[in-house]
Amino acid sequence: MAAAIRQPGWYRGAIGLVLGAAFGFCLVVGLRLLSGLDAFQTEQTGYPQVIVPLITAPFGFLFGFGAFDYWFRWAAGKPTIPEDHSGHGATKWQDYFKFNTDHKVIGTQYVVTTLFFFLIGGLLALLMRAELAQPGTQIVAANTFNGLFSTHAVVMIFLFIIPVFAGLANYVLPLMIGAPDMAFPRLNALSFWLLPIAGIIFLGSFLAPGGSFDAGWTGYAPLSTGAPLGQTFFNIGVQFAGASSIATALNFLVTIITMRAPGMNLWRMPLLVWANLSTSLLVVGATPFVAGAQFMVFFDRILGMNFFNFLEGGDVISYQHIFWFYSHPAVYIMMLPGFGIISEIISTHARKPVFGYRLMALALIGIVVLSYSVWAHHMFVAGMFSWLRVPIMITTMLIAVPTGIKVFSWLGTLFYGKIHTYSTAMLFALAFIITFTVGGISGVMLGMIPIDIHVSDTYFVVAHIHFVLFGGSVFTIFAGIYHWFPKMTGRMYDERLGRIHFWGTLVGTWMTFIPMHWIGMDGMPRRVADYASQYGDWNLLISVSAFVLGAVQLVFLYNMIVSWRFGPKAGPNPWRANSIEWQVSSPPPVFNFDEIPRVVGGPYEYGTPGARHAIMGGEGEGAEVPETKPSTVTVPS
Amino acid sequence: MESASIAAHGHVDDHHHGPPEAHQSARIDRTILGILLFILSEVMLFGAFFAAYFFLRVVADPASWPPEGIELPVLIAGINTCILVSSSFTIHYALEAIKHNNHRGLKLGLTTTWLLGATFLFIQINEYIHIGFTPRDGAFGSIFFSLTGLHGAHVFVGLLLLTFANIRAYRGHFGPEQKDHLGVEVPGIYWHFVDIMWIIVFLAVYII
Repeated sequence: MAAAIRQPGWYRGAIGLVLGAAFGFCLVVGLRLLSGLDAFQTEQTGYPQVIVPLITAPFGFLFGFGAFDYWFRWAAGKPTIPEDHSGHGATKWQDYFKFNTDHKVIGTQYVVTTLFFFLIGGLLALLMRAELAQPGTQIVAANTFNGLFSTHAVVMIFLFIIPVFAGLANYVLPLMIGAPDMAFPRLNALSFWLLPIAGIIFLGSFLAPGGSFDAGWTGYAPLSTGAPLGQTFFNIGVQFAGASSIATALNFLVTIITMRAPGMNLWRMPLLVWANLSTSLLVVGATPFVAGAQFMVFFDRILGMNFFNFLEGGDVISYQHIFWFYSHPAVYIMMLPGFGIISEIISTHARKPVFGYRLMALALIGIVVLSYSVWAHHMFVAGMFSWLRVPIMITTMLIAVPTGIKVFSWLGTLFYGKIHTYSTAMLFALAFIITFTVGGISGVMLGMIPIDIHVSDTYFVVAHIHFVLFGGSVFTIFAGIYHWFPKMTGRMYDERLGRIHFWGTLVGTWMTFIPMHWIGMDGMPRRVADYASQYGDWNLLISVSAFVLGAVQLVFLYNMIVSWRFGPKAGPNPWRANSIEWQVSSPPPVFNFDEIPRVVGGPYEYGTPGARHAIMGGEGEGAEVPETKPSTVTVPS
Repeated sequence: MESASIAAHGHVDDHHHGPPEAHQSARIDRTILGILLFILSEVMLFGAFFAAYFFLRVVADPASWPPEGIELPVLIAGINTCILVSSSFTIHYALEAIKHNNHRGLKLGLTTTWLLGATFLFIQINEYIHIGFTPRDGAFGSIFFSLTGLHGAHVFVGLLLLTFANIRAYRGHFGPEQKDHLGVEVPGIYWHFVDIMWIIVFLAVYII
């Protein structure tokens, strides 16, 4: 027992958690008593005796859990062993609950954790739909409803969509570029463990006096600066989630730039790698802005500062500018990795090279650059500078161009391809193109000032966001999980259940979110628990469809869990794909490769006889392997 | 830990030979690139606060900036700026020293840098105590304490990194090869960033 407490792990983590909380609590109470104040402060924007422990406890846990052990040894000038791989790989399920530095273990940890939060976020959504099934308030009070849609959005965005992409990429990206691991394995593990902490803080806000944060996921000031305690939980949770995603992005960038296999120049990188390169550029550049915005709200609430207090010279609109300067790029953070996944899947299952590969990569970079210049289209009705409206409208229209390039290139890839739809991954990829295009077009509509003014804060916006985030991002996530499931687990999932899940999800998505466009055009406001009775019928249909959509996800969960345990062995390359991750065993060996592979051609040379993407270590030694020339697209007549 | 993974090419036990060396596909060292990207995100964090500064000063357009009756101690802050700027030179000296295997110079440079940084922080805290207004005093108080405080927090982190570097320098752990003195170079890059950021904060808050 004593040894178990000294070892990094859950025991020491629990002790660290308690000590961290106690430290924060005593610090606040002690300082308050020393200054002659009451021990506790219970204004709703205050509660320092809760807030400070909320910050110190997670650090205590991480210290105890072993997240900083290596760095502490280094800092104290003690000998360190960078080549010590004791925290690497997983041989039993308990290894997934450790501070593990293996990118494959971390990837799995990410995907499983985020799916758990997906479930929670989905349940919150269903609670809302239950309330909205009929006009009037039946199930939850208006305040609780505000809390529900706020936490639903925050959980889905910060704990599902953004990190699940980081998880999938964590697993496959180092394999794809022929690297033995990520550049900073310990930082990688730390970024994962920050995530459940953020999730617990967000969900813990339900226990705070005054209920969970309810100012929307946007947390606009001054609504948020005066809101009950739960809002501070949001401010702090965002810092943890944001730190996690910045650290991961930094790790991806360094890995992609410095650790590619020999021969893999920029134009031989799979598009998933390109997509994560561009996403990471967005995360590193934009996420600090949401951190800054939440710091300011936090300071206004806790320290009595006046960033957003008009009476004291504050500027209210500045919150929205700073917030959206992150949060518009954030929608591309939530979409670009999905683009990468779709390119991989479409090309593999259509057995054709990606159409316009270089333009696909450049379109990603184009989106990155443009996405920094469109933030104010969320603010057309906010009373911001009127001169900024039209320029922002133009850049918003402009961003449809690189996105359109991607959509048409996928269609070009499919054109005359040998399209195999036996994989659920491909079904989701094909459905994604259609659903995302619908969401993209309503996005262009929303970018036009006159239409935006008409439908601002209506269900039209809800419909748009769910078409691009659910019909877009979540479809790509499902596609990605089905596609790499055999690689990650070594087993095949059940295609029949996969099809049930696919068709249920597709029909459920359209039935749920298409009618929202219409009631939104008619003027039904979003974020309200009650509504005029004229919208009753449509809302009932939406709620029923939403429950069907939710129920179908249980099929997915069942399929994943049972197939992971009992599915038939998948073999290294069930999809006959070219990229490097499919050339190693499933699941891959602990250190990925015995020898770093050599890249000799593009990743998508399907249909070119004898074309190779990479030569794996140990094969064809000494033999001259010709470099594969990129093929020109030939259309059979 | 027992090895039990399924190996690619028939090795039953591949746990002990370790991973293959990653191919270095760029000239820049991983750690250096990492710290540079980290600094990029830090710059953006400062950017968020500078954006707030712009809104509070230019868009909200108060009658006077700083508000009536507030006099910033520009002279003291200016001296403090000199102290911090000179510390950038001393850390550069330390790095150049270890590149030439001059351990004495390394220790001298690092210690001086640490002391200059600590002096800066000390003067800054002293300034806070005697400045005569608080973070609660209007938008000016908010942005003044946020920008200088955010920077102060960075100085503190930089000092921690320099402390670690000092410990290792006095134990003689660094060497002239780049891989042997990353522990000086990386905190050094961070320190330069803290320094340059201060010049910008100083110009924005105290001068213009």
